[in-house]
Amino acid sequence: MDPMAHTAHRLHSPIPSRTGIGLKAQHYQEILERAPDIADTVGWLEVHSENYMCEGGPTQNWLMALRDLFPVSLHGVGMSLGSVGPLDQSHVARLVELEQRVAPGHVSEHLSWSIANGDYLNDLIALPYTEESLNVFSSHVADMQDALKRQVLIENPSSYLRYEHSVIPEPEFLLEVAKRSGCGILLDVNNVYVSAMNHGFDPISYLDQIPAGLVGEIHLAGHSQTSIDGRIIRIDDHGSPVSDEVWDLYDYTISRIGPVPTLIEWDSNIPALDVLLGEADKANRILDTYQPEVRHAAVG
Amino acid sequence: MLPLAELQSAMRDVSLGGDATRLAGTIVSDGFSHAERLNIHRNNTTILLTDALAATFAVVVKLVGEDFFDVVTRLYVRAHPPQTPCLFEYGEDFPDFLASLPAAAGLPYLADVARLAWCWNEAFHAADDEVLTSVDLAGVSPDDYGDLRFSPHPSLRLVSSAYPIKEIWDFNQCSTDPDASVDLDEGGQAVLILRPKSTVTMIELSMGGFALTNHLIAGHRLEDAFAIAQRAEPGFDPATTLAVLISAGAFRAYALKTSP
Repeated sequence: MDPMAHTAHRLHSPIPSRTGIGLKAQHYQEILERAPDIADTVGWLEVHSENYMCEGGPTQNWLMALRDLFPVSLHGVGMSLGSVGPLDQSHVARLVELEQRVAPGHVSEHLSWSIANGDYLNDLIALPYTEESLNVFSSHVADMQDALKRQVLIENPSSYLRYEHSVIPEPEFLLEVAKRSGCGILLDVNNVYVSAMNHGFDPISYLDQIPAGLVGEIHLAGHSQTSIDGRIIRIDDHGSPVSDEVWDLYDYTISRIGPVPTLIEWDSNIPALDVLLGEADKANRILDTYQPEVRHAAVG
Repeated sequence: MLPLAELQSAMRDVSLGGDATRLAGTIVSDGFSHAERLNIHRNNTTILLTDALAATFAVVVKLVGEDFFDVVTRLYVRAHPPQTPCLFEYGEDFPDFLASLPAAAGLPYLADVARLAWCWNEAFHAADDEVLTSVDLAGVSPDDYGDLRFSPHPSLRLVSSAYPIKEIWDFNQCSTDPDASVDLDEGGQAVLILRPKSTVTMIELSMGGFALTNHLIAGHRLEDAFAIAQRAEPGFDPATTLAVLISAGAFRAYALKTSP
């Protein structure tokens, strides 16, 4: 093992194989106040990197205060790794600066694109899975990792459309990106389910293709169903509890790959913190079921 | 088959309101047409960016109502999509856009209140810095006061309007009295927006106070700024306003330079 690599990552507090929650401004104060009481439920926090790229102010101070109490993961939504052309270097520089300040346990991004002609669409759009996309995406992941000097986790997307010229199945594409760039995988079980329902594939066979050793983190979230002329399409809006079907797929995944850091995401119609804690408890119970050994010795 | 660059450019156009015909043979249409599928992405962009603008310009939503705001932001998002993924930076020219809208002409103060909201947003996210206090100035000889120059705190912003924008702002933060109203004819207001520590504050400035602050943050000597402020407002007491500015935390440092 390279001793320098160890030194470089010494300050990063590792993300435990417990449940974390997505940190929202509405909950800053309450999490800070209840930190000792909720530490058994909330093992870590995840934030959207872009929200903390401001020069100063209270949002950063909240993050740094909470960062002293919980391991933190930086989850990017704006790098647009799937866009043609070079990465936005000023955005890369801001992420590097934030990463150095926060020293997060994980840094992650999406298998998608959101920028074209310089315009940011604030959307995570699936790529056509072609050789051209594979080259573009893999080299951007490598660029991002080189800038950060660390591994990045890449999240599988929810998708609402497919392209006629896509020739590579998504899990295969993701594995090839990991092989070429050395990135890890952020496996979003809800996204697998949403895409499977929208496009009619078997979510189990998708999950089975992802090797345990590549999965650094799992995401769970709620989705909604929209009806267009009586036909249902599922939208990944992170605005409700995790669905029963997704809990079943999560249980299946953990039974297969073992406990992995798991995030409860809730980004719209944000509920009371206790609702998030309830979801986190559910995930922790599943993680506990598949712990290789008992985590807590009995007291007394 | 479209090369990725052309595909992304075409899909960008659709997400920003353009026609989807060109992508008919490119998007698989099982169950839903290519246009219906692309419409999901168009909705994502429109709704999520509208939400971001509604957060920054909450006071505008309150003034015009959600329905009108949604119509206006749909136009704005499509004409001025964000150039950065950091959405706290999105909307700088939204006040100008509002000013240019014939449909908003009935609310002549709307753009200036939006400017106030934008400055609040900028102050909130600005760099943190030291705050100059009167103690820091204790060592300056009164003989040298005229040569003082101040550097503004990074969060300091100024807005002036022909309308009572601070009253409109305050009224829309916490209007509990259903019969309360703002008299639009009571004249304009100039407002200083500032976040010295963690809380954004707004201070109303007189004509003289606005001129004084404006010239001090531009780096003018105190004596010159005093003189300009007194010309802007006869009878203006610049020393009192300077004390207010300093105690509010408007400056980060001072310098004494006798050069012009």
